[in-house]
Amino acid sequence: MPAASHDASPLDEPSTTARPVGTSPEGDRPSGAGGVPGATADDGDDEGRAAYLAQVMAEIDAEVARRRASGDLPAGLERQLDELFLEFSPMSARGTDRLREQLAVVDAGAFVDIAVPVASNKAVGSVAKRLIRSAISWYVGFIVHQVVKFGWSVSRLFHLVVDEVEELSTQVAALGVPELPEGLAATVSSGTSWWADEAVAALSGVTGRVLVADCGDGSLVRRLVEAGVDAYGIDPSEGALEGALAEGLDVREGSVLDHLGVVGAEGLAGIVLDGTVQWLRSHDRLRLADLVADRLAVGGALVLHSAAPEGWERSVGPVVADLAPGRPVHAETWEHLLASRHVVVRALRRSAPPARLERLPADQPGAAVVNAAVDALEAMQPAAGDYVVVAAREQ
Amino acid sequence: MTAVHQFVPALLPRDATGEHTLALRDALRDAGWASDIYVEAAHDDLWPEARYFEEYAGRARPGDVLLYQVATGSPVAEFLLGRPEPLVLYYHNITPASFYETWEPSTASKVGEARAQLAALVPRAALCMAASAYSAAELEGLGCARPAVAPVLVDPARFAPEPDPAEAARLAEGHGPGAVVLFVGRLSPNKAQHRLVETLWWLRRAHDPDARLRLVGPAVTPAYAEAVLAFAGELGLAEAVEHGEDLTPAQLAAWYADADVFVCQSEHEGFCIPLLEAMHFGVPIVATPAGAVPETLGDGGLLVGSDRPADVAAVVSRVAADPVLAGALAGAGTARLRTFAPPVVRRRHVELLAGVVTGPKVAA
Repeated sequence: MPAASHDASPLDEPSTTARPVGTSPEGDRPSGAGGVPGATADDGDDEGRAAYLAQVMAEIDAEVARRRASGDLPAGLERQLDELFLEFSPMSARGTDRLREQLAVVDAGAFVDIAVPVASNKAVGSVAKRLIRSAISWYVGFIVHQVVKFGWSVSRLFHLVVDEVEELSTQVAALGVPELPEGLAATVSSGTSWWADEAVAALSGVTGRVLVADCGDGSLVRRLVEAGVDAYGIDPSEGALEGALAEGLDVREGSVLDHLGVVGAEGLAGIVLDGTVQWLRSHDRLRLADLVADRLAVGGALVLHSAAPEGWERSVGPVVADLAPGRPVHAETWEHLLASRHVVVRALRRSAPPARLERLPADQPGAAVVNAAVDALEAMQPAAGDYVVVAAREQ
Repeated sequence: MTAVHQFVPALLPRDATGEHTLALRDALRDAGWASDIYVEAAHDDLWPEARYFEEYAGRARPGDVLLYQVATGSPVAEFLLGRPEPLVLYYHNITPASFYETWEPSTASKVGEARAQLAALVPRAALCMAASAYSAAELEGLGCARPAVAPVLVDPARFAPEPDPAEAARLAEGHGPGAVVLFVGRLSPNKAQHRLVETLWWLRRAHDPDARLRLVGPAVTPAYAEAVLAFAGELGLAEAVEHGEDLTPAQLAAWYADADVFVCQSEHEGFCIPLLEAMHFGVPIVATPAGAVPETLGDGGLLVGSDRPADVAAVVSRVAADPVLAGALAGAGTARLRTFAPPVVRRRHVELLAGVVTGPKVAA
């Protein structure tokens, strides 16, 4: 394994240090090596061994944290590796490209070679195989002819189906909703919101990765990391992530549906849903519920924040409201969707409703003018409320 | 005469389910019960040990108990659904379909059918057993009130007493100055060998430029296996990753003997016998928690909380570079292996089955 092969890596970047964790740059003995209890199998000191291993893990964790902070283990590279591997998946191509790729595989497989190899390691093996092949060629040929005929019929059928699918895809694309104008939707800042403490409390102590979807400025990711949670974020807006990336947080551009689509089953210990998840199309909302229920580990925690349907339009403004593919749903609807997928709501909290301004009785002097002003002020009030749901996957 | 007959879709050599079935058959006979094995398919060498499952209909006797080894879909499940005898399920686990959707949709469909068969069998079962608490929880989810946990019986014969000398020499020659990381398991998306390649990349980049990865196991999902090796090539690791298939027990022993660290980053495991193999061969284990890995590993190795390859690489580098730590882990593995000693596991299975079997034994 020549070192040159390492140098050829497309993702390679110079490492500031290349040495075993827990050893000094000069190559000293590992810091935990001296006076190790429980280093042999039969000394019966299980507690000593457990304490020693815990100490080693603590040293490694501290070293990894230091190297991450120094930029030696950039999260961006981890992400690039994951994405690079997905490119090798036979299903990595999207939409009709994927269909065409698979169709090519079917076409290639529809041909059956009647010329069975006759090579052999034994002296007479090749001659014997050649004789057998000649003797049964009439029989094999008859079978192969029918198999090939069937294969090409199936291939032809698939070509017709793909042609039809492509035509339908074109028509469906024309019915799609326009993209939301970049920058018009406010950047999410979940870490400073009223429900952030609830989210951190629900996710503290979980073992495994925690996804913050639509993480916006990354403030909630930061708070979770500070609480010892292995959190990372995704957001569809690259611009919103600039600050978080500059901070060195593990955040990446992407939509929650696409991302959850490539996460393994039970791959996440926690999920936070916020932002655009609240105005998904109805079928996308169901798909999201399915994905959450599958990708969340048993016992994993879900935190979902959404605007309440009432007053949502006022909170996002007319353009976003008009162009958004869907509308927020009530907390009870999420509770129903999740419960049917064995993700059970443990807590539901709603934000305090905005204070109402008192109106003057109509018979008071100047009441009409004052009440008209009150109406105008109330129209300028922020959203009529939002809610946060904390749930757990039960099975 | 009471009998506990086993049904298994396929009886194969060097296969966890096959070995478990054969070892349990012997344990059941030792316990005084008649016991035969009924299969849908078997390796040529193992047909003398088995009968075709449909033959059971003509051999059924009052008091028989039928034990089904559930690991995949099979017509055997449909056959058992129609039988009146008390049914016991032993659930090895079925890989969730989601792991195959991207790589092999046909397999995703098959495992989906296998899970549907399991769901149909559970209400019919007099006793549900599982190889791990992780798998038992799945049975609970299907409506089984109190599934019992009994580990897989691991046949000690699978461990060759001595490594194959020629293979050992070849591996030693290719070992090099860096750490050799080993993983054993079929190349399949749930085993996540691509994560091991990523870990190797980090290991070489940040800690040990000469580190190598050795993967042992059949490429049962060819598209995934090809992708893992192509991925390694893309990262410039083609020469640093070696894949071994169809190894004899002695050759496998040589691979274990030449390894510095056994690393498991599987995303789904119903039990994970290779962990026990690594313990047996004294190879220190580093693993990430997924499926039944934490309970099988116990305190027999290092369980890394994070599944990030850079973090796992840091732990691997420390273990490979610290002989005292490696020794402690090997000792921990040896101690842990006692939990799965065949006499202990055999007794557990027989005790659980005794609760279902009511008739007299063959011999006192």
